[in-house]
Amino acid sequence: MTILALDLPGPRRSPRQGLVPAFGLSPAGLMLVFFFALPMGMMIGTSFHDPSSGALSFQAYERFLNDGLTLKGFWRTAIMSCLVAVAATALAYPLAYFLARSKSRFRIIVFALALAPELAGVVLRTYGWLIILEDRGFINDIFLHWGLIDEPLRLSKNLFAVVVGLTHVVLPFAILSLTTSIQGIDENLERAAQMLGANRLSVIRMILVPLSVPGIVSALLLSFTMAASAYATPALLGGAGFKVLATMISEQVLFYVDWSFAAVMANALLVLMLVVSYAGLNFETRLRDRRGVKRGG
Amino acid sequence: MGKILAATTVAISSLCLAPALRAETLVVNSYGGPYEAIIRRAIIEPFEQQTGIDVVYDAVGAASQDYAKIKATKGRPGFDVAVMTASQSLQGCQDGVLERLDPTAIPNLRYVAPKLAKSAGPCGAVHELQYMSLLYRTDKMESPPRSWSALASPELNGRIVLPTFQNIMALYLVEIFATMNGGDLTGNLDPGFKAMSDVARQSIGFEQSSAILESYIKDGTVWAMPFWNGRAQLLVDSGLPVDYVRPIEGTIPLIATLNIPVAAEHKASARKFIDFFLEKTSQEAWVSAYKVGSARTDINVPDDVRARQITTEADLESLLLPDLSVVAARLREWGEQWEREVVAHQE
Amino acid sequence: MNRLISFSFWFSLVLVLAFITLPLLVVVAASLSPTADVTFRPSAWTLRWYQDLISQRWLAPFALSVKIAIAVSLISGIIGTLAAYIVAFERIPGGSAVMAALLSPLSVPQIVKGVAIVLFLSVLGLQPLLGTPSLIAAHCVLALPFVIRMAATAIANFDGNLDRAGQVLGASRWQRAQYILLPAIKPGVLSGMTFAFIISFNNIPLSVFLVRPGDTTLPITVINYLEYSLDPVLAAVNVASMIFILFVILAFEKFGGFSAQLHGGSK
Repeated sequence: MTILALDLPGPRRSPRQGLVPAFGLSPAGLMLVFFFALPMGMMIGTSFHDPSSGALSFQAYERFLNDGLTLKGFWRTAIMSCLVAVAATALAYPLAYFLARSKSRFRIIVFALALAPELAGVVLRTYGWLIILEDRGFINDIFLHWGLIDEPLRLSKNLFAVVVGLTHVVLPFAILSLTTSIQGIDENLERAAQMLGANRLSVIRMILVPLSVPGIVSALLLSFTMAASAYATPALLGGAGFKVLATMISEQVLFYVDWSFAAVMANALLVLMLVVSYAGLNFETRLRDRRGVKRGG
Repeated sequence: MGKILAATTVAISSLCLAPALRAETLVVNSYGGPYEAIIRRAIIEPFEQQTGIDVVYDAVGAASQDYAKIKATKGRPGFDVAVMTASQSLQGCQDGVLERLDPTAIPNLRYVAPKLAKSAGPCGAVHELQYMSLLYRTDKMESPPRSWSALASPELNGRIVLPTFQNIMALYLVEIFATMNGGDLTGNLDPGFKAMSDVARQSIGFEQSSAILESYIKDGTVWAMPFWNGRAQLLVDSGLPVDYVRPIEGTIPLIATLNIPVAAEHKASARKFIDFFLEKTSQEAWVSAYKVGSARTDINVPDDVRARQITTEADLESLLLPDLSVVAARLREWGEQWEREVVAHQE
Repeated sequence: MNRLISFSFWFSLVLVLAFITLPLLVVVAASLSPTADVTFRPSAWTLRWYQDLISQRWLAPFALSVKIAIAVSLISGIIGTLAAYIVAFERIPGGSAVMAALLSPLSVPQIVKGVAIVLFLSVLGLQPLLGTPSLIAAHCVLALPFVIRMAATAIANFDGNLDRAGQVLGASRWQRAQYILLPAIKPGVLSGMTFAFIISFNNIPLSVFLVRPGDTTLPITVINYLEYSLDPVLAAVNVASMIFILFVILAFEKFGGFSAQLHGGSK
């Protein structure tokens, strides 16, 4: 079963016409329209305006495409988010499997621990990692003390630190996402395979992983999305040279006060997310179709 | 279900009842941390006592963030007076979001040194002056540095930290190095950037927040760095083995201003506040309390304060004053040059 | 082979849990630090930074953050579940498009959402809405995708036969929703609401632009303090917030619970 929102196997009923859907959706819809869609529309509109004259122009977009720094920032965002997505999903998997299958008392504790980072808020966690990773931080302190190294290792203010920090931030969401997905896989399939003589590795390889692909894709997409729009962690752990779209947007908004350029970068980010989501969902649908054909055929 | 609906209704309606403000109120937006305690003691409490106006203090946001908020809300950000800098004052006048300040309504404006008033323009009331100093550890350096080029000396390799471009000290450093190497304050900064990239090689990195910059010199990781003299003096007073100098090549000041957003609610009180801050007695109190320079050149302060602060005409003459409107116009271009030539070389 | 897999599984579990908790432990240690710097010296741990917390400067923003988080949790819980019900249960035409639209706020960086809202409200002349009302609305926009997603998942896991049984026994749609569906999806909805609470309580980038003087949330107060002073009070504030949120989660759990959700939803 997938929790990818675009296809929910719910109870089989014919689509309902009438006022009920409109009534049920309108509070959420109105809120999103007034506090999200309209403001974002206005923001997108500003990207097509020249900041000083207010006339319609693509000047901001030309700047974005010609400026080496912004393009580098764009790719940096994409690569960082990919790494985070993969790391978070990989780390989440064992934990998700445990939460989905285990019957032990410790499940609640593990669940609470898995969610605990979210409780702490992003700034706190990021500072925690900074204290651990920086040159005068925890890890370097210990290694230097034990004489393993002569000079501090460069563990902070770079891509490594940002990926570590962001993985930590998105992990709870990846775990929740995968847990729900794995819960949907019938346990009996695994048991049956084992009874038929398959060892654990084969069970994982041929049953668990293939059936959890929708959940994996979902976790990857969720992690990617959250990482790509993250601001505080890349700012604090990445250092001055590590600029991603979210930090550049913030710079334009708060320091240069150039909102049309900020809007262009925001649009670029949005496009990146939409392309990746679309590709992911497409892949997931195609996989499911292929499996469906196999089963039905 | 019914209980939840009831709870929600109660919650929403109680939140919608905004608290009523009293008759004479003023919302002042400025900085937090040590600054807040000092300004309350030296300026706000005397002001409240003298005028009976109730001051609400808002410590959210740095100067440029405040400006972004003023611009986004079209001059109605929720505060009546903001502490920003001369750059934002000029920008705000141009964008039409800051109130023009009239000497007839704010008499003490006339006493602000003309040079400073000019650099801030008609929408900013200069009330304070800090200069960029070279802060250093007295216990780690052989002798006190005298020149900005000390930052590039072998003694300080790996022992300095630099601000990010979003901290205006970064650009000011480039400008000073430009004047030292054949360029000038705003016309030709290329020699400055080149010198800066050499300095960057010595730096352990770039930080934006003053608090983090401070922490490096506090724990001895860094032995010297550029720092505003007001905060530098606070560090000296706290007992740390540090001191600061004004290098021989000169320095650029941070001209702090008081500004009124054009659609603020309590403009009359705001004007009274500015007038109060510019009183001779208030300026003297402020200079002594926050360890900064004054906007007026006719104040009386103890000699030891005078020795380290900008308080007279002569002091002002010695400062380098870049044309801030040119800075505003070329800021983005220089920001990108900074990324390309300075940050890239640090790694 | 099996034992190897088993061992790797448990080992990786422990590693991941260690990864998760490490920074949190570090911050707790920092909050107990004896000096004004953030250090790690267990011998001299002190609770004095926690004493500093009992002052107006921290309690007022804390109260506001709690107020806002409760409102956000309730509002987004109700309208989010309603929306999830319509899309996932009633299966309206174009449901996937609607769902995608409802989840779209996730793709936009919070700082952009924040500025966009301020610009929008200012253009309409609605600046007085800044502060608590717009904070609540903006946090709801942020939380809705999570609530809707969790409610929709709970609905998807709901056994349709229970509903059909209700229909057969003559219950109206409203009765079926109230007595059959709602209790079954309660754990999912509550976890969504808990997430909404946490997201709202801890939020920073979205809120930066929306706060008003006197109307400041706790996390924003923290980062402003951070600008000027790096001392363990901040760690203490954060640890205290964490403990508070833990209590909130336990309360939600008592009320109707996650552990049920771990069983798969229907009781």
